[in-house]
Amino acid sequence: MALRVLGLNLIKNNINLLQNACRINATSTTQAPYCNQVTVHAAPAAVQKQKVSKAMKAYLERARENDEFMKTQDLDFQIGKRHLANMMGADPETFTQQDIDDAISYLFPSGLFDKRARPAMKSPDEVFPARKAAEFDETGRPFHSMFYTGKPNFFQLLHDIVEETNKLYDLEERMLRRGNKPDENQKIEMAGFQMLPKDQLEVKLVETIADIEYSNFVSSMERLIASPFSYKSKNFIERYLKPLIDQSKQLEVPKPKIDEQGRQYITTYECLRKTARADVTVRMPGTGKININGKDISYFDVEQCREQLLFPLQFSGLLGKVDVEANVAGGGSSGQSGAIRWGIAMSLRSFVDQEMIESMRLAGLLTRDYRRRERKKFGQEGARRKYTWKKR
Amino acid sequence: MLRKSFNLSRFGQLCGLRRLQNTQAAPAVTPESEAEDISVIEQRILKHPDYFQVHNLFTVRDLFNARVHYGHKEGSLDDRMRPYIYGNRLGHLIFDLDKTASHLRDALNIVAHIAFRDGIILFFNRNALNAHMVEQKAREAGEFSHTRFWRGGIFTNANVQFGAVTRLPDLCIFLNTQNNVLTQHTAVRDAAKMAIPTVGIVDSNCNPNLITYPVPGNDDSPAAVELYCNLFKEAILRGKCKRRELLGLPRLDEEALKSKVHGKRTK
Repeated sequence: MALRVLGLNLIKNNINLLQNACRINATSTTQAPYCNQVTVHAAPAAVQKQKVSKAMKAYLERARENDEFMKTQDLDFQIGKRHLANMMGADPETFTQQDIDDAISYLFPSGLFDKRARPAMKSPDEVFPARKAAEFDETGRPFHSMFYTGKPNFFQLLHDIVEETNKLYDLEERMLRRGNKPDENQKIEMAGFQMLPKDQLEVKLVETIADIEYSNFVSSMERLIASPFSYKSKNFIERYLKPLIDQSKQLEVPKPKIDEQGRQYITTYECLRKTARADVTVRMPGTGKININGKDISYFDVEQCREQLLFPLQFSGLLGKVDVEANVAGGGSSGQSGAIRWGIAMSLRSFVDQEMIESMRLAGLLTRDYRRRERKKFGQEGARRKYTWKKR
Repeated sequence: MLRKSFNLSRFGQLCGLRRLQNTQAAPAVTPESEAEDISVIEQRILKHPDYFQVHNLFTVRDLFNARVHYGHKEGSLDDRMRPYIYGNRLGHLIFDLDKTASHLRDALNIVAHIAFRDGIILFFNRNALNAHMVEQKAREAGEFSHTRFWRGGIFTNANVQFGAVTRLPDLCIFLNTQNNVLTQHTAVRDAAKMAIPTVGIVDSNCNPNLITYPVPGNDDSPAAVELYCNLFKEAILRGKCKRRELLGLPRLDEEALKSKVHGKRTK
């Protein structure tokens, strides 16, 4: 049988091997005398001394040390809490973590920028990392089959992906033989999703992984998803996908509301540029009136600022067809005009078609300008400019 | 050569029968006597030539069907593999399966003994084609696998690598001993350094010197690797099974293991 099989494809070989394997199993059960001879004795034929491996001893020792350390730390924390409560004139028994935080920020005011760098007092459970649970039993035998790779969870994941892929390949072949085609409607949509990013995957697996390992993960997931029957393992795949909520939300265009005069209007709040902040209302249809803090376009003296305001209207061809009202505060004239420009552009999305939105996006009208004033450096005249300097 | 293999298998069967009677006689002494320490039994069964009956796990015909006899091309022969070569055909080397079989039986015997002694067995394989299967079989046998890039120092600097005192494996099984066609797997050297015994499938281009129990044979074909995996798994399960039986432990997890295996096979 096997000789005939030799030249044929892999599946046949596998079947052949399966038979071999079964044969091996069969022999083991029938021919091996001791397997059938198992008679349950009242007393076993052998006894084993309970051995504890070096690894387990070391682990227990470390666990004991860690527990002691945490106990003393917790004691210190409790004492500190009572002192703090007395200082603040509160009842030490009902002093909560929130009270501690308030007391610390009151007693040790800090101007440090990074909040994590400021003084804090927290329970030692939060401050010190949790002790790793033992990864092996008393005899030192690890629990996980891929323990010796050093990253068992990650490699187990890769193993599971291949397992799923193989299952799908088998299914595909069976379906092909039966003449069934994959269901196009159930196809997995990757449009609104992305693969779980590396940092989140690391959190999920509780292991750090290298870049190349992450790219291996991505490529094997892609292979799994590319299979025509991938919807069969949807549950598995979705565990490692992340929806792109933020971007899709941004793409969503708000629907205009109707005011008391029956006109459509849309208000965009929090239009930011430099230190200016504005909210902008665009009304359609209109006559091109512009109202900024109760004034018209002459609110801005500089011509460039006025151009800034009008640019989105002119770009979308709605100049003179909509009314604009804006409240703006903070910043200078260019910041304020930039804020209003962005607000107008964002509002106009509701009144133009998809193509125009796309070209507005490409023109940079819908992008928030994050540039801020750059600080002056010492030894220089300004942010970049140097003092005049002559060698001799 | 085919005829030769037939002869050998029949011979093996004959031997097996004789040995079978031997084993039946050997443990018959124990039930009446007091329960003895397992370490005494461990010592005693070492004297038996084939306590776990590993010789009946396979025949030379099985090896042939699984394409174990295929070596690499003639030019890539490692001189140290010369004694295991039967000849060459169309430029490809052919292993002498009789020699392979006897080496494989020795290897299976030591695997079963180590499994009997509760040893940790680690499967290695750097061939991506077979890696999944090897991992799966190792798991089914309740043992360990490492089929990925070998970070240096896992054996030689284990306490640092794992961040704690760690028990190293008691036996390494290499389903191929090469990283690629040119370089040997570093774990072969590291295991030798740490005095961990090794069983290795050595192809015609491999160096068998550092392997404790080399088994000459094809290490590339999925069919061959699956056969090796099944054999090693079965030997391990026999050793474990026997130990649990002697200690009077329930065979529950063993049953669970087997049912899982069967479940996978029937699928």
